[in-house]
Amino acid sequence: MHVKTIAIAIAIASTQCSSGPHPITITDPPGFVKMGIPEDNPLTEEGVALGRMLFYDPILSADSTIACATCHDPQLSFTDGKPLAEGIQGRKTRRSAPSLVNVGYYYKGLFWDGRVASLEEQVLMSVEDSVELGNRWEVVEERLQLHPVYPTYFEKAFGIESETEIDRYLVAKAIAQFERTLISRDSKFDLVLRGEAEFTEAEQRGWTIYFDVSDELPKSECGHCHLDPLFTNLDFFNNGIEQVAGLESFPDRGRGAVTGWKYNNGQFRTPTLRNIELTAPYMHDGRMKTLDEVLEHYISGGHFAENVNPNVRKLHFTESDKEDLTAFLKTLTDTVFIQNPAFATPFQ
Amino acid sequence: MKKLLFILVLGLTFMASKCEDDSNPQGQIDMNFKASFGTEPLVMFADDYPYEDGMDVKFQLFQFYISEITLLKDLNDGTGTEILDVELVSFKDIQDAAAAEQGIDITIADIPPGEYQGIRIGLGVDPDLNKTNTGDYTPGHPLSDHYWSAALGYVFTKIEGNADLEGNGDFQEKLTFHIGTDPYFRSKTFTKPMTIEAGGIADLNFTIDLRDILVDSDGEYLDFRTTPQDHTNDADVAAFISDNLKEALKLE
Repeated sequence: MHVKTIAIAIAIASTQCSSGPHPITITDPPGFVKMGIPEDNPLTEEGVALGRMLFYDPILSADSTIACATCHDPQLSFTDGKPLAEGIQGRKTRRSAPSLVNVGYYYKGLFWDGRVASLEEQVLMSVEDSVELGNRWEVVEERLQLHPVYPTYFEKAFGIESETEIDRYLVAKAIAQFERTLISRDSKFDLVLRGEAEFTEAEQRGWTIYFDVSDELPKSECGHCHLDPLFTNLDFFNNGIEQVAGLESFPDRGRGAVTGWKYNNGQFRTPTLRNIELTAPYMHDGRMKTLDEVLEHYISGGHFAENVNPNVRKLHFTESDKEDLTAFLKTLTDTVFIQNPAFATPFQ
Repeated sequence: MKKLLFILVLGLTFMASKCEDDSNPQGQIDMNFKASFGTEPLVMFADDYPYEDGMDVKFQLFQFYISEITLLKDLNDGTGTEILDVELVSFKDIQDAAAAEQGIDITIADIPPGEYQGIRIGLGVDPDLNKTNTGDYTPGHPLSDHYWSAALGYVFTKIEGNADLEGNGDFQEKLTFHIGTDPYFRSKTFTKPMTIEAGGIADLNFTIDLRDILVDSDGEYLDFRTTPQDHTNDADVAAFISDNLKEALKLE
């Protein structure tokens, strides 16, 4: 009798295993630090699918007009092409929409100022931000619980037994799962590393300038902060774009508003240069329209402030140096990534 | 009944083995690193320090890797027990004198009890580990960052800051010294007889004077007017900093 009971329990458990969420294993591209996936939010096919729906669904916003994808368009490497991101009713945020390319690998804080530690926390914050999705989580939870379709998807993704279990935390988990799949690994730079392509002469020269590896060519100092393979070291710096009278004068304190330390004022997270060709305008407030403008800024050495990163220094470039560095930067464009159907809207 | 007895014996055996583990604890080493610039505590950003030939200097970053940390049973033949593979000693977040006084703590557990004569510390990432890259590590691991792909290795030491070349309060000269690659890995042995007791903690307090890295014991110094940066492209500068780092690290 006892043996029979155990056998039945095992049979039930195995049935549940086969019908439950199907785990996904992330294969980290070469050189990428291993992705840190929270133990309580492992990636599953069903979770990612649900997260993708929620990412593209305006149901999360107060007036059901915008979704995460409104500011994070895959064709623009999950940015929006605007200087400042726009939330509901055209409300302007303080900063530009950061790219989500490889965002699952970001482990030093999210947003431009690193004020949250995880993608899950980021989702929780953006939905209620009055200049982003501008909603209240109670409203979102009720909409999803009463929705004709979503409860089934939540059940498949998280094994809930009742729609009343749908809450903000499951929404955040699902979207975070989807975002962790947004991995760029097929730019020309990656292909060259894998021996599947070769740089042109200009790109090769640009690579040399980028990584400061030749005394025969000028140094760009790019690679200190925009470290490959993520092309960001995820740290926070003042790169000298703001002319200020002192450390208390930054119009946007950035990291300093999070830490409260004045030497962090005006510091922002180093953005990735992957797909940089697609993510204009540039800087945390979108003040620079073109890559050329960005290069001119760094060539000038930027404005002085006590906390400007010392790696931002006056450069000595010819037109040819600029062109070749730009040619290299364009090898970071990953069209496979932006055209990946798994990242596109599911509502077509 | 026999089954019950078997389970009971099995359980007691398991508990006994657990007790045995608990009764044979290892020791622990608490390392502390304090940085100074001359006689002053080293504070990032806020404090400035007099340098050579009328120059002053401020810092934004000072960090270095230590690796192959080995407790030595015998100083003569160098045999011992490696207790830690790698760690980053970073003074990046030292914001004031109080934090500088507190220093950087590194705790190393599971030290085999016994008598030791000293400790050997690699300065930089030892050549074996330096063949790995960030893809081998999880976030937060010391080697998950500071990888220099073009040199196929880690940046062992970073010193970044600003210099006031004229001593007039204008800290406009940017300083960046990034040293790496195997030829600049150094190793230093400290004589320090110590007894690690089971369940005990041994303190090892290190000091490092950043000034001694930039100015050697002969008074030769990095002249920021001519050498405000080096990415290990100048072998003399890289060797100067690496050798001086070895001299500057002291065990109290």
